Order: sequence, then structure tokens, then C-alpha cells
Amino acid sequence: MTTGEDILAVEGLGIRFGGLVAVNDVSFRVRRGEVFGLLGPNGAGKTTLFNLIAGALHPTSGRIRFEGRDVTGLRPDRRSRLGIARTFQITQPFAELTVEENVMAAGIARHRTLAEMRAAAGPFVDMVGLGAKRHALAKELSTGQRKRLELARAMATNPRLLLLDEVTGGVDQASIPGLIDLVARLRETGVTLILVEHNMRVIMRLSDRMMFLNRGEKLAEGSPDEIANHPDVVSLYLGAAHAGGPGHA
Amino acid sequence: MFDPLAPQGRLAVAALVLALLVLPLVWHDTYVLHLVILSMIFGAFAVAWNLATGFAGLKTFGHHAFFGIGAYFSALVSKDFEITPWITAPVAGLVAACAGLVVALPVLRIRSVPHVAMVTLGFAEIVRVLLTVFRETTRGEMGLWGIPAFDGFTLPVIGEVVFNAAEKVPYYYVAALLFLGTVYATVRMVKSPVGLALVAIRDSQDAAESLGINLTRYKLLVFSASAFAVGLLGAFYAHYILLLTPSSVLGLDLMILVIGMTLIGGVGTLFGPILGAFVLTIGVEAMRGVGEYRMLIYGALIVIVVMFMPRGLVALLDGLGPRFGFGRGVRLATSDDAPRPG
Repeated sequence: MTTGEDILAVEGLGIRFGGLVAVNDVSFRVRRGEVFGLLGPNGAGKTTLFNLIAGALHPTSGRIRFEGRDVTGLRPDRRSRLGIARTFQITQPFAELTVEENVMAAGIARHRTLAEMRAAAGPFVDMVGLGAKRHALAKELSTGQRKRLELARAMATNPRLLLLDEVTGGVDQASIPGLIDLVARLRETGVTLILVEHNMRVIMRLSDRMMFLNRGEKLAEGSPDEIANHPDVVSLYLGAAHAGGPGHA
Repeated sequence: MFDPLAPQGRLAVAALVLALLVLPLVWHDTYVLHLVILSMIFGAFAVAWNLATGFAGLKTFGHHAFFGIGAYFSALVSKDFEITPWITAPVAGLVAACAGLVVALPVLRIRSVPHVAMVTLGFAEIVRVLLTVFRETTRGEMGLWGIPAFDGFTLPVIGEVVFNAAEKVPYYYVAALLFLGTVYATVRMVKSPVGLALVAIRDSQDAAESLGINLTRYKLLVFSASAFAVGLLGAFYAHYILLLTPSSVLGLDLMILVIGMTLIGGVGTLFGPILGAFVLTIGVEAMRGVGEYRMLIYGALIVIVVMFMPRGLVALLDGLGPRFGFGRGVRLATSDDAPRPG
């Protein structure tokens, strides 16, 4: 069971695709208002875990409780209406819609008229710094702008839990600091964040607590310092990353 | 896309509607009226198909099944049970809508475009084969005749209105009513929160679902609404042409014609399918003199438009598009908006 402090409780979660065990017996809890970081090498199961929490995949074992309610069998749209929002590793803008219309789409399940949706979308478009691009088609945006658009769209669902999948992934170096500041500002709104991030510096800076995954299993959980100094993490991830150059470090 | 039309756009639409309504009063040529009736029927068909395919992204290639179901249902019920087509036609629309729900259920579970195309195409083929096989009822490819025409009535100022093969004007106005009704309902739907949901689903199902949009509900809604319109049009066609064969209302060439109209006019636009329907229906007729070669020209036209004008003929109206609100980027309807890039 979740305590009053826990917004999300994941218990014994697992999923297999044929013979491949993508996530195996993973349990963790996320406290309300914190930033929880997921770290792990490629193929560790981070995005799969995200898809399980958001409902895009259904687990073969284990339970997911959100605010004390078992959401394991619910579809993504039901979870969204309960207060779980997400962004995508590879951005999924509504390409033929404008920036404003993309964010308005978050209001379809929450408002009755287009005017209400437009009014509700406005502050989120401004919050992510796309006010000047309000009427641009989403397909005309740069990768960094698409990441911002997804943040606005997800925040416009008024979530209590927001899953951010590699906010800085595929973004040019110059745009990364702005995105990090934006994520830091998101937490001030009180939303609980779960981050997947390849960029070690980014996730260390933003997270209150972290979990380290490898080959679908949880290896460690703790503060960023504890994770950074955990022997398994050092050998598996930091060691490899240091050896491979600063890209992932 | 979701802004109301600018005054110029409203004026243009009003002028087109007026021209359509006045035409039979000033041009009595039966053949011309017949062509415009067919253009309106196929235009409305293309608009309804485009709602499911162009706006909601459900790539169905079996919509002619609903046209055939509507046509045969209304023809058989009105003929065998002597019920007026004024009742059987809308009921035929409802029957087609129910068939739409039946097809939509497997389609909902499939995300791959080619598979959706095959399932819907297969469904239409099953309907065609059934209508061919049950010869005692449908007369198969020998043709179902003796279909009752619409019953006449008397209007206050105009007097008696009679539906028969020689008099096209009453049919013309019923077709215009169906055409304008279909277009109006589609525009209302597209420019509402439903339209926003449909386009979002088309562009990314995963993202739409993650925002709380119920994919099942919207797909069922759009599929059944589209099937209803096409079924109703099929019923009208039956009581207008008065002769049905499975290949005439359920042949794949009918679906290809409607797809061609939509592609040539502009898929995913409000005005494109209508433009395509008028251009192709009248164009194909105009080329009657070249015999079978016209299908060759027709095919070449589709290839040329798809290759060089992927947005369709409606792109030619781009200069007008933002003001008239016809194109894909029809959101630029207010005076303070800059022209859409690209």
C-alpha cells in the first residue's frame, strides 16, 4: 500500500516480450512532490518501465498503484484523466496542428468547448517559451522546441505525476540548459516528476532520489550521491561512460 | 483550422451554395443536372470517406460496402415491403452505421495501415459476394430492378413534386440536400473538439491517448457517422438510378473513384474531396468520346497529382486558402494572422 506520502507504488513489476525479460520484478515508491530519476545503460528497461507506468504496455506481473489506487489494468487515457502525464523519448507532436492546437488537445478530455481549451492552453504555451510560435505548425519546430511542446501538452493535462522521457535527448547542446531550467521550474508547480535521462549531469542535478536499472532489474536506489558512488553503478555505467567519452557523462 | 471562417470565406461559401441551388432553375439540360447530381453524391461520399481517412487517419478502403449496404437495404425493403423510400433511406443509413461499428471493432485493434486497408477491403468484398450469391433476393449481377422511386408530394408554392426518370429537378434538390447536409455536418464535426481529437489521433495515437483521449470512442464515432452518410447516399442512389448490381455499387472501382477524387482534390482538407468529385465526375464524362482511354487519362491524372501536387488541387487555391478557409491550414482565418509558411 502507498502511504500518504507516496504518489506511486510499483510492486514486483515485470514484463516479457516472448523470451526477453525487459523488466523483471522491479519495486519502488515515488513520494509526492519529489523528482525521481531513472538511470541505466541502453536497453536497461527505462522506457519500458515508463510505458508500463503510463499504461502503453501492460505488465505480465506486478502491480502499479497511483495515489493508492490500483491502475495496473487501466488504459493510458484513463491514467491521464487520473493525473498521470508523459512525454516521449522520440517526440510525438500532432504534426499538422499548430503549437496552440497541440496543447489544446490536452483539454479535450477536460473541457467542453474549443474556446475553453484555447484559454486553458495559453498559459502552458507561454510557460514553455513557445508563445511566439503559437500559430506555427508543430512539424516546423526544432527538436528542442518539440520537447518544449510536449512538456506544455503534458502539463496542460494538470497532472500530479509527470513522466519525462529524455527531455534533453537529441537536442543540440545550446538548447539543453534552457530545457533543464524548464524542468526545474516544473517541479515548483508541485507536480511529481519521474525522469529518464541519459545525460548523467542533468539527472544528478535535477533528481532528489534515483533508481539505477540494468537489464530490466533494479540494482540500486538512493540519493544522487549514493547512486553515483554505488559500486555496481560505477562499474556498469559510469565506468563505461567515462571510457566512452564525455557524451554520456 | 478551428477558427470560424472569415467574412470573405462565408461569402464564398454562400455564393457556391446559392449557385448550386439556382442551377436547375437556369439550366434545364437533363444531362447536366444528372452529372451535377452524381458529382454531389460522390462528392458527399468523398467528404464522408475523407472524414474517416483524411481527418481521423483510419485508412479504410472498404467504404463502398456502406454505399452498397445502404443502396440494397433501401431498395429491397421499399420494394418487397412497400415502404416509402423516404423511410427506408434513412433507416438504410442507420443499418450502414451499424455495419460501420461491426467493421470498426477489428479496426480498433489494428494500428498497421495496410492491415486496416485489407480488413475493410475484405469486408466490402464479403458484402459484394453475399449480394451476388443471394440471387433470389438480389438478382445478383442480372440487376435488381423495379426499385420504387421517391414518392411525390405537394409543396405550398411550387405545387406537385414528382420523382421520375424524366424529371431531374426534384432529385437534384434531394441530392443537394444530402450533399450540403453531409458537408455541413462534416465541417461542424471537424471544427469542433471532436475534429481536434480526430486530427490528434491521426497524427499520433500514442500521444493522443496519453492526453486522455479515448481512442475507441472517437474511432467508433467517426466510423459510424461516416458509414451513416455513405449508406444514406447509397440509398438515394438506388432510388435515383432504379437499377442495382453488386458491381455497380460494391465494385472496387467505385472505391478507387472516391479515393481518386479525394487524392486529386486534397486529402485531409474540407474542400478538396468536393473539388475532386466535381472535376472527376464531370471530367470523366467529358472524356466519354475517347472511350476506354479515359480511364488511362484518369489514372495518369491521379499519378501526376500525387507526385507533383501531394496536397491536391486544393493547393491551387492556396492564395485563397487562408482567406476562404478551405485548405489544410485553414486556421488562418483572422485578419491579424500572417500567411501560413510553406
